Amino acid sequence: MAQTIRVVVNGRTVERSVPERMLLVDFIRDELGLTGTHQGCTYEGVCGACTVHLNGEAVKSCMMLAVQADGEEITTIEGLARDGALHPVQKAFNEHHALQCGYCTSGMIMNAVDFLRTTPAPTEAEIRHALIGNICRCTGYQNIVAAVAAAAAAMRARAAE
Amino acid sequence: MTTMHKPLIGTSYRRREDARLTTGFGQFIADIPVANALHAKFVRSDRAHARIRRIDVARARALPGVAAVLTGEDIREVIPSLPNRSTQPLLPAHYPRHWPLAVGKVRFHGEPVAVVVAEDKYVAADAAELVEIDYEDLPVVTDPEAALKPDAPILHEGMENNIIFEMTLTGGFTPEEQAANAREVDAIFAAAPHTLSRRFRVHRCGVTPLETRGVVADWTRSGLRVWMSTQRPHIDRLVFSDLFAIPQNMVHVSAPQDQGGAFGVKAPVYREPIMIVHLTRLLGRPVRWIESREEHLMAVSQERDQIHDLEIAADDEGRILALRDRILADNGDSCEGVFWGFVMPFYGAAMVPNGYAIPKCDIHVRAVATNKSALSPARAFGTLPGRFAVDRMIDILARKLGKDPAEVRRLNILRELPHVSPTGVHYDYSDYLKVWDKLIETVDLAGFRREQAAARAEGRHIGIGFGTSVHASGVASVALVPMEGQPGYGSATVKIDSRGTVTVLEGDAPQGQGHETAMSQVVADMLGVDPEAVIVRVGDSVATPFASGTFGARGGSYTASAVALAAKALRSKLARIALHDARRNEEPDSVTFAGGKLIAGDGNPLTTFADIAERVIMRPLDLPEGMDASLEHTAFFEADFPMMSYDAVAVKVEADPETGRFRILDVTVAADVGNIINPQIVEGQTHGGIVQGLSNAMFEEFVYDANGIQLSSTLEAYKIANAADVPPMHVVHANTPCRHTPLGTRGMGEGTPGPVPGALVNAICDALAPFAVEIDSLPIRPDRLWQALRAASAG
Ligand code: FES
Ligand code: FES
Repeated sequence: MAQTIRVVVNGRTVERSVPERMLLVDFIRDELGLTGTHQGCTYEGVCGACTVHLNGEAVKSCMMLAVQADGEEITTIEGLARDGALHPVQKAFNEHHALQCGYCTSGMIMNAVDFLRTTPAPTEAEIRHALIGNICRCTGYQNIVAAVAAAAAAMRARAAE
Repeated sequence: MTTMHKPLIGTSYRRREDARLTTGFGQFIADIPVANALHAKFVRSDRAHARIRRIDVARARALPGVAAVLTGEDIREVIPSLPNRSTQPLLPAHYPRHWPLAVGKVRFHGEPVAVVVAEDKYVAADAAELVEIDYEDLPVVTDPEAALKPDAPILHEGMENNIIFEMTLTGGFTPEEQAANAREVDAIFAAAPHTLSRRFRVHRCGVTPLETRGVVADWTRSGLRVWMSTQRPHIDRLVFSDLFAIPQNMVHVSAPQDQGGAFGVKAPVYREPIMIVHLTRLLGRPVRWIESREEHLMAVSQERDQIHDLEIAADDEGRILALRDRILADNGDSCEGVFWGFVMPFYGAAMVPNGYAIPKCDIHVRAVATNKSALSPARAFGTLPGRFAVDRMIDILARKLGKDPAEVRRLNILRELPHVSPTGVHYDYSDYLKVWDKLIETVDLAGFRREQAAARAEGRHIGIGFGTSVHASGVASVALVPMEGQPGYGSATVKIDSRGTVTVLEGDAPQGQGHETAMSQVVADMLGVDPEAVIVRVGDSVATPFASGTFGARGGSYTASAVALAAKALRSKLARIALHDARRNEEPDSVTFAGGKLIAGDGNPLTTFADIAERVIMRPLDLPEGMDASLEHTAFFEADFPMMSYDAVAVKVEADPETGRFRILDVTVAADVGNIINPQIVEGQTHGGIVQGLSNAMFEEFVYDANGIQLSSTLEAYKIANAADVPPMHVVHANTPCRHTPLGTRGMGEGTPGPVPGALVNAICDALAPFAVEIDSLPIRPDRLWQALRAASAG
């Protein structure tokens, strides 16, 4: 069974006919070719590699059907940088060596961006807790936590300007 | 010299890989676009040991969109079985014959039995559900000791028992020499003032990467094209060539530019890629397989799983006089090209003496087939259980002698290096004591002991525990040839083009180690060029020189050395030409390469890097006598001995004797990794290794029920540490440059997880010393600790 959906993805409206059972993550990756969104588990919602923003909020795109995104707005990692300028979280991940293989990175960053929107001045414990839905097998998290804290500080400084 | 230039080697140059990976433009295996590809889905055994009576694929085949459904019977005459000559090490062992799909019977829950190929992955999944398999159950054996019993079911035809591999690693090569050595060890035990005997057990766990495996293969008239998640593309090419009788020069294997971690898991030759290659050959279309997490956790990434019956003899001060270890590894079905499960416990057995000065050892290892998935390599490669056993034993000895475990450990640390261990492993020159002392200073042991006493007076229980690890970074051909039948050298090509831009070609296939950054630093330093303009290409069997792969921390030892040698050769060639053109007679070594220029010994610029490159390649006239225009150099770096890196780790915990709950306060690692190319990358690797060790010790566990059914095939059940689970980590170094690598580097990272579980458990036992609790097995969790506390208080 196919259904036509209209979704705003990274600021552009796309209209597609998709099978009803197609997962949002497959829609993003296979239909739209936005392969920055990754998949690390089998539709369990545990690893967080598939995290994207649905109307600005972090969601695991393997836990949703594409048809559920009909009429909504999605941002993926590819759409995070604005006008060629990296998001402060993206920059901080590089500066603090918060990635090794980079497979968790897109999901980690998308989750962190949403988290900092609601918690602009987090404690270390709050950052760690916010990231429990994103597994990173390489880094041991310490540098990820440092990067998120640094990005928060940079964003606060920018907001204060 | 007038131009100062700061070397990049030794600086935390920001990773070049990150620009694409933080913006979603990396390219992993599942991201590689291949037009017209079919999708494969494996049907896996839902039982642990059973004869296949009948497989009915008719309904699956009939589903619209299905291109093929194959079973073992369809391929047994068509694809040669493993082992073949490119997947069988030279060690004496049983290498069980197997095909990519089960033939006749299944031996573990999760073994591939059939494969479905369809137009899209949803249809493939539907069709896989329609394959009907009729099994006749066989008795199951899931415990290595049970597998040794005379009445145990035997997994593999033609074998009299389940022993896949067995070896005495000490005393010499003949049974007589080994028996004589064992008698000497017995005599030391008989005369020693203290002897201890314990059974240590480390459960089945591993380092599953976040990205699963995947293969895309396309067989065309011009040959076989394969993209796959792999640590060893050149070895895969060799294997495909041998198995499918196609010349190697018609096989092109590429590891993707980006791989989502591997940690050893992507090194073996597994069933699935072979099957995918067969399918593209059969169907004449590209075929794609991306492994699901469930498949991954059932079929690969399971390691550790060893029992050590360990005994030591010691003097009154705590000096170990002799060690006896009987190791039993649960090898699973043992069907796994190149490693066959047992290569890890074999290496682990060879490394049991670790960095301790143990004069005499008697070490014997057995690897036994059971109805589980074959052990597959995981970072720390077979050594984690032995580290746990020996480091725990040193603490138990210290308690017996009433001494601080740190003091007893220091007494036993090797002082004389280079050293050849009782198992014949060569340790190169270093200073382990310097590393140890750095650790003790960093954790302020004396201060901690005061704090501990004060806390105890308040009823709080904090403790500190230690572990150490000597680990080879890369393996020299002298050892790797007998172990895996494969060479150990490092190789790289450096190419300079006519506009002076530099390309590095590396036949390894990194998965997050930051080779693009580190190798750029090396080349930029040697050639004085902008590291941002260096391109590093990896993992392509056509473009790059033959290499044995990214595994065992070979990057910093072997590959970086080959890159340095290749860059050095080009550098001296360019220097000679520049001096020749300037009609100067100095030695090429007098020329400095910096800031894109070549500068003579007197400080005068000779030429720019871009100009000389163009001059040599495009205007090859009047070159020095005997010189050609090539600015491409391939170097192979071989070593006589491994480059050992050394870690000493300290874990601090607080434990609650009432509940068995414990909290890790922090973890400190002091290490010798030789000269460091990029400190930030080295520190990051260390963090990751520590957390893998902790996660193995506390959370991860592959669980099989009595019928061999796997209960841990989701990340929900196979829990991996998350950000809130891990403590702060500190990394310090006391480096001794390696004497036999051109840059003084050693590779690092492989061994890091190994000593962590032992240090953690030592810390818990130290915290709870007043309760005399002893933990000899993993995993360690509050419920187990609580049980141990109850047992200790009961007497
Ligand atoms: S793929 Fe969505 S949470 Fe793992
Ligand atoms: S960087 Fe590899 S999983 Fe996070």
